[in-house]
Amino acid sequence: MREQHIKAILEGAPLASLSEAELETVREHAARCADCGRAFRAARVAAELLRARAAEEFEPSPFFQTRVLAALRARRAEEEAPALRRLWRAAGALAASMAATVALLAGLTFLAPGPGVVTDDAAAAATSEPYSAEAALLGVASAEEMDYEQVLSALYASGEGNE
Amino acid sequence: MELARLARGGDEPAFAEIVRRYSPRVFRVAGRFFRQRERVEEAAQEVFLKAFTELGSFEGRGSFEGWLTRLATNTCLNLVRSAKRRPELTVSNLTEDEGEWLDAQMSGDAVARHESVERGRVAADLAGRVLDTMSADDRLVLTLVDGEELAVKEVAEMTGWSESKVKVQAFRARRRMREAVEKLLGFGG
Repeated sequence: MREQHIKAILEGAPLASLSEAELETVREHAARCADCGRAFRAARVAAELLRARAAEEFEPSPFFQTRVLAALRARRAEEEAPALRRLWRAAGALAASMAATVALLAGLTFLAPGPGVVTDDAAAAATSEPYSAEAALLGVASAEEMDYEQVLSALYASGEGNE
Repeated sequence: MELARLARGGDEPAFAEIVRRYSPRVFRVAGRFFRQRERVEEAAQEVFLKAFTELGSFEGRGSFEGWLTRLATNTCLNLVRSAKRRPELTVSNLTEDEGEWLDAQMSGDAVARHESVERGRVAADLAGRVLDTMSADDRLVLTLVDGEELAVKEVAEMTGWSESKVKVQAFRARRRMREAVEKLLGFGG
């Protein structure tokens, strides 16, 4: 128990802060107890080491201030760069989506068949029966199916209707 | 504080003046955590960069130096925590100078113990190597309380820990430091 007590004194406060009475108790016990004697010697060495360590001082180099300011500017530039990159990426994405839309519309216009678009059969028929003004005016499939009289009467009828 | 207010608004000359004025203080804090000069300077730079981004949290209630010291302490503490801890230091790892320094301590040779600049450097290096094997919290509390003989209250203010945490941490750290030194002295364990 007494050994424990000595170690508790050694661990409870810095050696340099112990009172003379406490130090006397420690010395007295350390002289009789081998284990506490070793602990006391080690504690003294530890205190010397820590004192030496605390006495070490580091002065800033003459260029330290310049170095810090350069690092600050570099860090600010790094922080600004991602914002510009994000903006550039957003613009790129917008341009890409517009290009994709244009390509899609073009594809639909030229490739996809629609209700008003002729099929292969209709196209073949169209080649064999050329489009004529009469057909358009008279609303018939082909002018060749009407004779001259029929055409004239149809034209007059159409003219009267307009008046 | 006027400089802090200006720097918070992005005034670079004001921030440059803060760096110039408080560098010695920040180097002193960083020097408690790191032994190599380059590491101390890197840590100090990190502290100032962090200070610049966190100036908004300085409300001007306490001193600016106190705020910066606390920021420096916690920044360095985190840097040490993220670094890998060194393996245990053994007698066979000691340099010749370190072995001689320990022998002089044990022999009680007052002349040898008292202390040239060179011997002080050997002791500081050895202390750093022993501390490197310990946790960041142990290292900090030993350096501040036992090394620099700061009051528990001061350490609590610097770290943001409670006073009882500082005491408990110091108690355990002293035991770990003593046990590490006992091994170096060949006391077994």
